[in-house]
Amino acid sequence: MNPLPMVIADLRALRWTAAAIVALVALAVAIGVSIGAQERALRQASARAADDFDLLIGAPGSQTQLLMSAIYLQPEALPLIDGRLINELARDPRVAAVAPLAFGDIARGHPVIGTTLGFAGRWGRVQPSEGRLFAREGEAVLGADVSYRLGDKIEPSHAVAGHWPKRGVADDEEASRRHEGHAYVAVGRLPRLSSPFDRAILVPVESVWEVHGLGNGHAGEGAALGPPFDGQRIPGVPALVVKPKAVADAYALRARYRQGGTMAFFPAEVLVGLYRTLGDVGQVLSVASLLNAVLILAAIFLLLVAVTGLRRRRYAVLRALGAPRAYVLLVVWLGMAGLVAVGCALGLGLGAAAALAVSGLFEAQTGLRLSFALGSAEFAQVGLILLLGSLAALIPAALSYRRSITAGLRG
Amino acid sequence: MPDGMAPQDEGFGNARVGGSTRAKSLHFSNVQVDHRDGDGQPFRVLDIPDFVVPPGAMIGLRGPSGSGKTSLLHLAAGFFLPDAGSISWGDVVISALPGAARDRWRRETVGFVFQDFHLVPELDVLANITLPATFSGWRQTSDQVARATFLAERMGLTDLRRRAAVLSRGEQQRVAIARALFNAPALILADEPTASLDPAHAAEVGSLLVEVAKESGATLLCASHDQALLARMQQVAAIADGPLQLKAAA
Repeated sequence: MNPLPMVIADLRALRWTAAAIVALVALAVAIGVSIGAQERALRQASARAADDFDLLIGAPGSQTQLLMSAIYLQPEALPLIDGRLINELARDPRVAAVAPLAFGDIARGHPVIGTTLGFAGRWGRVQPSEGRLFAREGEAVLGADVSYRLGDKIEPSHAVAGHWPKRGVADDEEASRRHEGHAYVAVGRLPRLSSPFDRAILVPVESVWEVHGLGNGHAGEGAALGPPFDGQRIPGVPALVVKPKAVADAYALRARYRQGGTMAFFPAEVLVGLYRTLGDVGQVLSVASLLNAVLILAAIFLLLVAVTGLRRRRYAVLRALGAPRAYVLLVVWLGMAGLVAVGCALGLGLGAAAALAVSGLFEAQTGLRLSFALGSAEFAQVGLILLLGSLAALIPAALSYRRSITAGLRG
Repeated sequence: MPDGMAPQDEGFGNARVGGSTRAKSLHFSNVQVDHRDGDGQPFRVLDIPDFVVPPGAMIGLRGPSGSGKTSLLHLAAGFFLPDAGSISWGDVVISALPGAARDRWRRETVGFVFQDFHLVPELDVLANITLPATFSGWRQTSDQVARATFLAERMGLTDLRRRAAVLSRGEQQRVAIARALFNAPALILADEPTASLDPAHAAEVGSLLVEVAKESGATLLCASHDQALLARMQQVAAIADGPLQLKAAA
């Protein structure tokens, strides 16, 4: 038997209702898919951004705040730690590398971060895509998305916590807080890291200190950049990134710098805590979206039961013409399951599009690039909706299957 | 039958209306059908002690509304089972066949024409006529299309691509008759086939129905109030007018 001509005729009879059903199912599916995929993409992107930050050391306070400032470059006023710690850590045999992160300045809305050559090259992991890394004070390396060009003069200003400047533009607020008489020259550009550092300008930490009138941390002029700092006075920094030599060293260092006026933590452990919260929110949203899908399916189901009831004469005629019961069952079931299936397929596409759009907005806001991909969880969710829809469609199909021809013909 | 359309072969052929040799006698024996009225009181709709329609006969069924004409046709088609008695087609006791077998018997034997046509309005003329083919086969064969085309032409339908929804009532009933004839039924059952048509179309459709039934050699059982249509039958049975028995048509 071939029920397709009747299925197509039924769908044609429904026309706008069929389109509305497909749209509703697609919407329900899209909401669920985009929430799930978005949450996963956010975890992956934020974890990737923290890759080069094995251990963070800062002044006691909020770990989350330090994490957000050091890795995701959210502007916050942070207390400083003693700069001599850099020397201490640089000498420590358990430490492979240490770098300060001195933030607080902006230029055209881009954060200016004082650090070492080592961290600018991500401990040797990245090479500049253009030009070179900084080699002396007053030179700057640009993130991939920084609007300056190589050779440009970069005039830093003091950033204000809570003020979110528009990137690429020096607004009045920024102009009014310029560090007069100081400027960097852009000498290189880093490849894309897909993290907020793509928007940052990296400069030698010595220059940041100099700009703020704190000297450069070295005893004589012309000293090489980076630790050890042998100056009389070594200015403080808000954060230190430490690359331990081994896992055991990492734990030992964390224990050591959890006391004595410092705080040390693995960004990963803070992220896990954040993810747990994010996961809870995500779960609530997932459950809400699933309930939403179930409600929509239930409404559609009732609608289709009503439609099938209205068509009982049509199906009775088919039986009167010799159609087996199974034919009528298939006509009703295929039509409904088909609508749900088309809605699910469309919803996957719509969900992907929505997630991409949200990712774009999110990246514009934070600089974190979310790489969106539909995962098995989304396909499982859509599969579940499809299964439920198909099973639900069996009920009106079975009702049509059982209805007597004579009763159906009477209408 | 118009000239040039004479039967070329026996059995199921494209170029003829139907197979004549399969008609058997339709036999109602001690059939009783009871319904309940609005107050739950049972009443007898049909009581047919013995009624035989000979093979290939063209019988009109006459009787007032509610006398059970439609129920009798539905019984003959196996749509439902009588409360007592049996209905048989030749050796086949229809009223004793299980559901699926009755469906198959109906598909192979019966062509039903309704008062209200009951076409699928979203399908075109050709798809409506070939609809019964989709009950058993997956692909439509060229033979089936040729047969549907022949039947449509025989019924005076020229444009097979028009949707049923846009046809006039007379055209719709002609499509419905072509659909009923598609499987070359040996038993054609028609329930008030002209009652929904204006007199001109009623006459046209009525004469076509009788012609094609005659050409096919099938048994025709036709319930109607239409005197002109009843007059075209070989015999007429009056229902709810004493025991059902055949009389010569008026």
